Amino acid sequence: MPTGAPPRPRRRRPHGKPALFGALFVVPAALYVAIFQLGPVLYGLVLSFTRYSPLSRSGPEFVGLDNYRSLYGDPEFGRAMLITGRYVLQVLPITVVIALGLALLSNRAFRGVGLFRTAMYVPHVVSLTAVSMIWLWIYSDDGVINQILDLLGMAGQRWLSTEDAALNAASAMRVWKALGSNMVLLLAGLQTVPKDLYEAARVDGANAWQQFRAVTLPGLRPMLTYVIAMDIIYLAQGFTEIFVLTQGGPYGSTTTVNFLIYTEAFQYNQMGSASAMAFVLFAFIAGLSIVAIRVGQGRRL
Amino acid sequence: MRRIRSASASAGLAAGCAAALLLAACGGETETGSDGAGTLTVWFPGNSESEMALVNDTIVPAFEEETRADIEVTYVDWADISPKLNAAFAAGTAPDVIGHGVAATADLVHNDRIEDLTPYLDELDEAAREDMGAALPGGTVDGAQYMIPLIMTIRMIVYSGTDFAEAGLDPDQPPETWEDVRAVAEQLTQRDGGDITRAGLVVPSDPIGAQQAFGTFLWSNGGEFLNADNTASVMDSPEAVEALDYYVRLYQGPDAVDNTLGVAWAGSPEAQQPIATGDASMQLSNAGSIGKYQEAAPDRDLRLMMPPAFEGNEPQAFGGPANGLMINKDSGQKDLAWDFITHMIEADTNTDYAEALGALPIHASAVDSDYISANPELQKAVEALVSNHPNPNVPGWVQMRDAMGQHLERALHGEVDPQEALTAAAREVDQVIESGS
Repeated sequence: MPTGAPPRPRRRRPHGKPALFGALFVVPAALYVAIFQLGPVLYGLVLSFTRYSPLSRSGPEFVGLDNYRSLYGDPEFGRAMLITGRYVLQVLPITVVIALGLALLSNRAFRGVGLFRTAMYVPHVVSLTAVSMIWLWIYSDDGVINQILDLLGMAGQRWLSTEDAALNAASAMRVWKALGSNMVLLLAGLQTVPKDLYEAARVDGANAWQQFRAVTLPGLRPMLTYVIAMDIIYLAQGFTEIFVLTQGGPYGSTTTVNFLIYTEAFQYNQMGSASAMAFVLFAFIAGLSIVAIRVGQGRRL
Repeated sequence: MRRIRSASASAGLAAGCAAALLLAACGGETETGSDGAGTLTVWFPGNSESEMALVNDTIVPAFEEETRADIEVTYVDWADISPKLNAAFAAGTAPDVIGHGVAATADLVHNDRIEDLTPYLDELDEAAREDMGAALPGGTVDGAQYMIPLIMTIRMIVYSGTDFAEAGLDPDQPPETWEDVRAVAEQLTQRDGGDITRAGLVVPSDPIGAQQAFGTFLWSNGGEFLNADNTASVMDSPEAVEALDYYVRLYQGPDAVDNTLGVAWAGSPEAQQPIATGDASMQLSNAGSIGKYQEAAPDRDLRLMMPPAFEGNEPQAFGGPANGLMINKDSGQKDLAWDFITHMIEADTNTDYAEALGALPIHASAVDSDYISANPELQKAVEALVSNHPNPNVPGWVQMRDAMGQHLERALHGEVDPQEALTAAAREVDQVIESGS
């Protein structure tokens, strides 16, 4: 009987005291995840099928799919979804393109490159609330931007109090905030692209643009996919900057879904419908992320 | 042992929410004040340094000495008070004495969370009740007293005597009707081509400020938001349309007198508000802040105008309790809680508290106190309190207010006409009433 390859050693399941000992190491983390992460999510899902005010003494009242049905025809929720989508679409491409340019720039050796990278990363380190407060001042009527416009002989603008400008102003701040982290991630991606591929391309006569298209972009694809997916997740949950800069106004023009959820849950005490909104937003983010990942992997949708 | 702490804007919110999520279904009695010495937990809304100093260093020690009780005071940012209170109720850890804005009262009553204070109030001296006659109605829901106001507010026009004199107007004879206010505002407005360089009159136009300003116009034109039994909106009446048209014309058209549409200046420090910076000659404001405005702009001769009315109507201005105290229905220390409230509303204590917050006291007799009598403009504010008109105290009011705020904003921006805006607002308010929020 031919023997062929040597038999693979059988993996033996640990048992007895070592297995128990190992499980004990896992228990604290598992309990943490179960109680503080999965538990609230599951409870939120249950709440989304109920009508519930935390002030109520009677507890949640099961209403089936009513909360989801009412969202379907709710113009306020529909508008918030559109605003959230627009916010993602107008921040994401700009921040990724600029971050890629900055990553390419900081991937070169020049004096002060370390300082440049640090300076670009600083906004990511500062909390979004603090950054939003600073931009609130920058955008104020007497803020830096209007003072610069005044010096140039141009009329100041009301950046946060007009419907046309408010979401764009919040988007500009978010682009600035996201640049540093995206740049560092893309820089890390650039440094994983093998140098010999560039040498081979140059030997084949490829110019800088051709090298970028044929070597850099394919090499960066996994990291680009990650950056885009993470940006979608963060941007679609936009809340802090909206809360600080505009409070969802003027007349709802910056009310993202997350801000609407906050209002519904904590101002109006409608925990059930707020939870339903949260799960619709979750589905929206998951859908967008899946599309981004599949496109990034070069697979069909 | 007494513990006094100040809750930061965000600290504990996540924990509170988690507690609410996990314990919401559990309910249960509040475990407060169970020890023999008598411990009372009190939440105050806001984080004013001067308020905290007065309460912590003077008011609470005096009460503790008098009653031998321990008082635990927590100050909660206004923005967080509702979420934290909701989480505390869900978790069964709400305080014995709850400080909040009057807009929250009806929802707490609707959910059977606060005590009816009418029997306690009935035991107070009749003269004391009469002295608080302008304040107490603001804390009632369906005729029962659930909140005892601590400080009062009323919207009045602050105007610059200097600007009046420069424009040839008599600062001692301010206008008495809204029609006259408009005419004077046009005289005071300065323009550079089509741009207003100094507004004749500025009125808040952010969603909450707009609702309160509109209320002032509406009530002083004989209108109301809701019908007498609070079962339907009546805010699309002809009186309401006239009032909103007046409000809109402050911003729209060639004779506009206000260039601050959409600018949330009302929350800025007094020194940065248009009346103090000289960007406006008249400003609809919280009257209790007049001292701060005068301090910020001593050269502008800032004064208060008694609340105007539209011709043929009585003056009514948005106002009422700016905050007040309630007793948790589950508290085990209700009598001690009431003692604390009566201590807070004792005339001298209350005047000191109002002064610390730069607000108006709840007692009419405070007009003779050192704090009020030292400033003739503050005296006017206290005298004007009889014209205060609070928002309706009904469940779901915050939702109604936000709904109408958005439609008012659209009208103010000229996107829809007043009738259309009010019809839409009335429809949404009716939906909130029907939903029984």
